[in-house]
Amino acid sequence: MSLLELKHVCRSFPHAKGVLPVIEDLSFTVEEGEFIAIVGPSGCGKSTMLRIINGLMAPTSGQVLYKGRQVDGINLECALVFQSFALLPWLSVKANVELGLEARGLAPAEREKRASVYIDKVGLDGFEEAYPRELSGGMKQRVGLARALAVEPQLLLMDEPFSSLDALTAITLREELLDIWQAAGMPVHNIIMVTHIIEEAVELADRILVLSSGPGRLVADLKVELPRPRNRRKEGFNALTDKVFSLIEERA
Amino acid sequence: MATQPTAAKRATSVIISLLIVAIVLALFFAYRHTGGLHHLRAPRLHVSVRQLPYYAFCSLSRMTVAYVLALIFSLVYGLLAARGRAWERVMLPAIDIAQSVPVVGFFPAAIYFFVALAHGSRFGVEMAAVFLIFTSQAWNMALGVFESVRTLPNDSLEALDAFGATGWLRLRRLLLPACVPKLVYNSILSWVAGWYYLIACEIIAVGPAHYELPGLGSYLMKAADKGRTGELIAGLLTLLAIIILMDGIVWQPLSEWAEKFRYEFAASSEPMRSLGMLHALGSVGPAVLRIFRAVLRPIVHGVHRALAATPPFEPGKYPALQRAWRLVRIGLAAMAVFVVTMGIINGTVALLRTLLEPWPAAVRQIPLATGASVLRLIAAFAISLAWTIPCAIAASESPRFARRLAPFAEIVGSMPATALFPLIVIFVIRVTGGMNLASILLILTGMQWYVMFNLLAGISQIPADLKEAVRSFGLSRVATWRKLTLPAILPSLITGSITAWGGGWNALILSEYFVYRGAIYKVFGLGAMLDEATYQSGNGLMILLTLLSMVLVVVLLNRLVWRRLYDIATDRYRIDY
Repeated sequence: MSLLELKHVCRSFPHAKGVLPVIEDLSFTVEEGEFIAIVGPSGCGKSTMLRIINGLMAPTSGQVLYKGRQVDGINLECALVFQSFALLPWLSVKANVELGLEARGLAPAEREKRASVYIDKVGLDGFEEAYPRELSGGMKQRVGLARALAVEPQLLLMDEPFSSLDALTAITLREELLDIWQAAGMPVHNIIMVTHIIEEAVELADRILVLSSGPGRLVADLKVELPRPRNRRKEGFNALTDKVFSLIEERA
Repeated sequence: MATQPTAAKRATSVIISLLIVAIVLALFFAYRHTGGLHHLRAPRLHVSVRQLPYYAFCSLSRMTVAYVLALIFSLVYGLLAARGRAWERVMLPAIDIAQSVPVVGFFPAAIYFFVALAHGSRFGVEMAAVFLIFTSQAWNMALGVFESVRTLPNDSLEALDAFGATGWLRLRRLLLPACVPKLVYNSILSWVAGWYYLIACEIIAVGPAHYELPGLGSYLMKAADKGRTGELIAGLLTLLAIIILMDGIVWQPLSEWAEKFRYEFAASSEPMRSLGMLHALGSVGPAVLRIFRAVLRPIVHGVHRALAATPPFEPGKYPALQRAWRLVRIGLAAMAVFVVTMGIINGTVALLRTLLEPWPAAVRQIPLATGASVLRLIAAFAISLAWTIPCAIAASESPRFARRLAPFAEIVGSMPATALFPLIVIFVIRVTGGMNLASILLILTGMQWYVMFNLLAGISQIPADLKEAVRSFGLSRVATWRKLTLPAILPSLITGSITAWGGGWNALILSEYFVYRGAIYKVFGLGAMLDEATYQSGNGLMILLTLLSMVLVVVLLNRLVWRRLYDIATDRYRIDY
């Protein structure tokens, strides 16, 4: 059984004149252990799709199956990382990371322990009592990552997580994300990342799904067979990047 | 990070505030006895439905004049105050005080002043009424202008500097557009506040003199007083119709237009559009706007062209002109200094003379009366919070409820409660036999909507991604209130509370003492004492002392409670990640 299966998912939004279709007839499956990147031009419904998978939003029609069961309401085995970080400005780093743990009813002592483990993992030890506005963008996204990892989700959903960061910070965070994903003993095996940076998708993902814009449809489903660690100087990297780029350009 | 004001700066601003209060009080006493009010002949006011359109027209004109004055004042004042730290240091505390001092208490003085100014004609009373409405409208609008200019991103200012855009161009292209959203939003609030005081100030009784201005407010009061229920209801319906029409034709299109000028940083889930009572009027609004624009555009363009066509003025070329201008400036400054000094001297003399009068025994009751009034305000405030916070939370949970609540709150909230005062008083006295509960309810009507509107604005500004984050992590309802909703609305709650208390003190003066069918209903409190001294005994000393203790309590509460809460709220509970 696949971890996640989307069957003919459509989503439209009410609009000044009628309805605006954002996603049309989207179907794909995600297998256990995959790192999937979803790329596409802006307005192709990437973020909407992520929210449908998380259960924040219901599809207008079609089905989302998680481990064979239809998603109905928030799927608590997922955790979402936001482009805008979405940290609560009045809570300390620690309290932000504990947010999901509290919701899952963990005892305070257990919460604290787990939060500090993940704050360490993202390299923020010593900043537990800081407030988000005192942190740099990169550090804020580390908090966002720690908050998502702390609930030990089976599936990590990332909505353009590095798009608000400067290029150098983004490079470091990408490497760290891969390390965390590949480390033994990490409960997260699956990542779905939405991005518009094609190099990012090629560097990180096992599979790249290419969407077209307005409404979003699946254009291509590419397996990335390049050995890790990847970078643009390695053979095949640029060729794949170009291929994805032209796929998007054709459909735009 | 907000710059924390130092203790020294705080102290100077307090001293400046107190100085301003002292000057205002001195001016008040300088003109208190120059009245010519006794010569006024009061025209008869007819409580008849046929006169209603005329009365409505009179009231609306008064409102419009006051609003236009407030608009001009707020632009000039706000732009000046935002010019530099030095201006800000004096002008902001002045606004702060003006906003928190119960202007209703100074109303009798304003009548004396303006009637004297107009040589005892009816025009003086009109001016006094317009002045009172103006004071209820101007301060928040001026603050809105100031905040808009002050919070302009530095880079847009620099961009204009870089293009050499100064003076008129800078004003037209950057400063004025930047003010539009807050100015429109505050205009709507001010208009609502204006109605509240209009109704209260059209019937004026100061000591022996009694005057009725033709208008909706005096019509309503008189209809209630005479027990003419049919006419009363007709008047209330007229008022409601005017409010709804004004909203549909003026405020609604204006706030839609204002949306264009918003600086968008964080995407909030709902735009800050205010009233939305009648969507049926939606097509009328834009049409009216087009007419406005068609009329205004040639004027604006003309001014613009004229200004652009004039060659840049080089004062160096005309030394004589320069000298003359300097003389004019010195003359004006000297005149201003002279007028203010005379006012202060006259005021101080009058003040001392008043203080030397024998002190009535009632003076000793002032502290106790102050306590009683503060308790009433606290009770009204508690009731306000008890219903508005749950409403706000419900609105944050259900956009559908929010969409229904907003127009309802707008209609009910913009009905001036002063128009309903007679009904409330009669009803509550009949049920409870006493005035105390009625008085608290009347104060409540002057407080609750400020809290509600601010909370609704706060709710609409919670960023969508924070809501999503909280949902996606599966927080329960109660946890969502604790972690997201309540902290997020805290700054709005504090701002709303400060405004509500300002409204509450004004309402207090109107609420503790009520004349209905020749009978006086009153409670033991500071507001009642002030009213008694103003309307019955005419005792200057009592007026002075009650006003002083009111101002003192207001300033102390602001400095010790609200200012601190506000600093905490804006420092920690700001949404600006």
